[in-house]
Amino acid sequence: MSTQPAAVIGIGQTKHKKKRDDVSLPGLVREAAQRALDDAELNWTDIDAVVLGKAPDPFEGVMMPELSMADALGANGKPIMRVHTAGSVGGSTALVATHLVQTGVHDRVLTVAYEKQAEGNAQWGLAGGRSGGMGAGGIFAPWMRTYIRRSGAPEDIGWKVAVKDRQNACKNPYAHLHLPDISIEKVKESPMLWDPIHFLESCPSSDGAVAMVLTNEAGAKKAPRKPAWVLGTAMRSELGTFPGRDTVRPRAGVECAHMVYDAAGIKNPREQIDVAELYVPFSWYEPMWLEGHDIAGPGEGWRMVESGETEITGNFPVNASGGVLSSNPIGASGMLRFAEAALQVRGEAGEHQVADAHVGLAQAYGGSAQYFAMWVVGSTLDAVDKKK
Amino acid sequence: MTDAKQDEVDPNAPVAGMDFFMQLEYHELLCPVVREFADALMDKRLIGHRCPQCGLVYSPPRGYCPICVVPTTKADEIELATRGIVTNYTVVTPVQYYGQEETEPFAKVSLQLDGGGNLSLQDLLEVPVEQVHPGMRVEVVWAPDSERKVDDITNRSWGTAEGAIQGWKPTGEPDASPDDYSDKVF
Repeated sequence: MSTQPAAVIGIGQTKHKKKRDDVSLPGLVREAAQRALDDAELNWTDIDAVVLGKAPDPFEGVMMPELSMADALGANGKPIMRVHTAGSVGGSTALVATHLVQTGVHDRVLTVAYEKQAEGNAQWGLAGGRSGGMGAGGIFAPWMRTYIRRSGAPEDIGWKVAVKDRQNACKNPYAHLHLPDISIEKVKESPMLWDPIHFLESCPSSDGAVAMVLTNEAGAKKAPRKPAWVLGTAMRSELGTFPGRDTVRPRAGVECAHMVYDAAGIKNPREQIDVAELYVPFSWYEPMWLEGHDIAGPGEGWRMVESGETEITGNFPVNASGGVLSSNPIGASGMLRFAEAALQVRGEAGEHQVADAHVGLAQAYGGSAQYFAMWVVGSTLDAVDKKK
Repeated sequence: MTDAKQDEVDPNAPVAGMDFFMQLEYHELLCPVVREFADALMDKRLIGHRCPQCGLVYSPPRGYCPICVVPTTKADEIELATRGIVTNYTVVTPVQYYGQEETEPFAKVSLQLDGGGNLSLQDLLEVPVEQVHPGMRVEVVWAPDSERKVDDITNRSWGTAEGAIQGWKPTGEPDASPDDYSDKVF
């Protein structure tokens, strides 16, 4: 199928908090959606279709929320679709919206993702209400232990990522956690939740939503502000368990990365990508994904952390927004990565703006690290070519 | 979620949230290969299917190998060892969500069974959590005959056998060499 360029012309997110008891669920998504429309200087009537993303319903106990929220999303009389791929859902949702534009099905699509964790309990949802639940951290902890053993990484790498992302979050007014006093010592001394993951190496539970308006080339030319062009998209999945699965370097993650690099014309991701928003709900996932997506070679991911390359001023900044470690409205967390990468290449990331960011990578993963969604966005359609 | 202090809440305060308790009880019809796995567990046997093409062992059996995309049948059924090596672990510090009865840190381990087959998220018994480590040799502890049940097994099972297997205990043998399990990271 022939495709045409698509661009992000509107981005909006809510202030992420432990408990947004000032708004209802529809109010929360409306807040993000309205901000995205305002950013694009469009009205609800300008939107052709709505694509909504949301993590598993038991996290809030509100089943099939898309039914009751259709009106809050301005979707009455319009096509609405819900996407669901566990933690990667925000990313997959943005991609479905993008594809609707790229294929010419719709001219202007509103995409929204959210979670109101305070209205439920994700741990309860994951455990099915039964005792002895592992939580997401319990599933990933042994794999991080294997990464550490395989790569020979020193134990302070996880603490460094935790400090870096929280310091970045202090520059992001929408981030849930603002911990200006964060330190290596504090992370190290925080309670051990899932050995080897400390409390301060884990993401918070947040309420929040994010929205984007996507449009085609003609729409982007009319946009009031600089668009972020979608240069490549990719989704991949694999089974959560099978004998011989490499849980440190899931094949679906490797293939998804190569697909998105190929689509965007990227030959050397470490050199050609200016800024990355990776799904890092537990600190060790930063070096794991740097290697798992072939940004760094085997055993090199943690060295990028150690040398400061992934800091906001480094040559490969990761999660300048503060990342999932600082705001985790689960269903929205993936789309926040996509939206933050777009903000960066538009040059509108405010205090956490990375200098000269023209090519951005966003990634989200979900389930047992079995669903992957990625996109590469650029400040221009030839942003990657200019780097050759 | 239940709030232990809810009785102390000011009755005149605005309502910020409400507890809704609901229960949904249903019976799931197991697909034939999972039914056979469950029946075997009641008989204190752990079974799997070995893919005729790649040799990987699936337990519970799936009736196909998702890697090779070929069917597996009764002819591919094997009985797995009930002894193995701890390949990986985590110690979980429980948080008090509704329904959580655990209060003390507990270990969950991944196992490589002797002769093939992996199990993840298994309970380790008779070992203080601070002594859990990869390489430990362990053997199964079945639930007593009168208490053994397979009601929790579903078609979506991740390989646990809660209700039939209480957990795994050390055999007392020397640790396995890392070469025997270092690729098995479940």
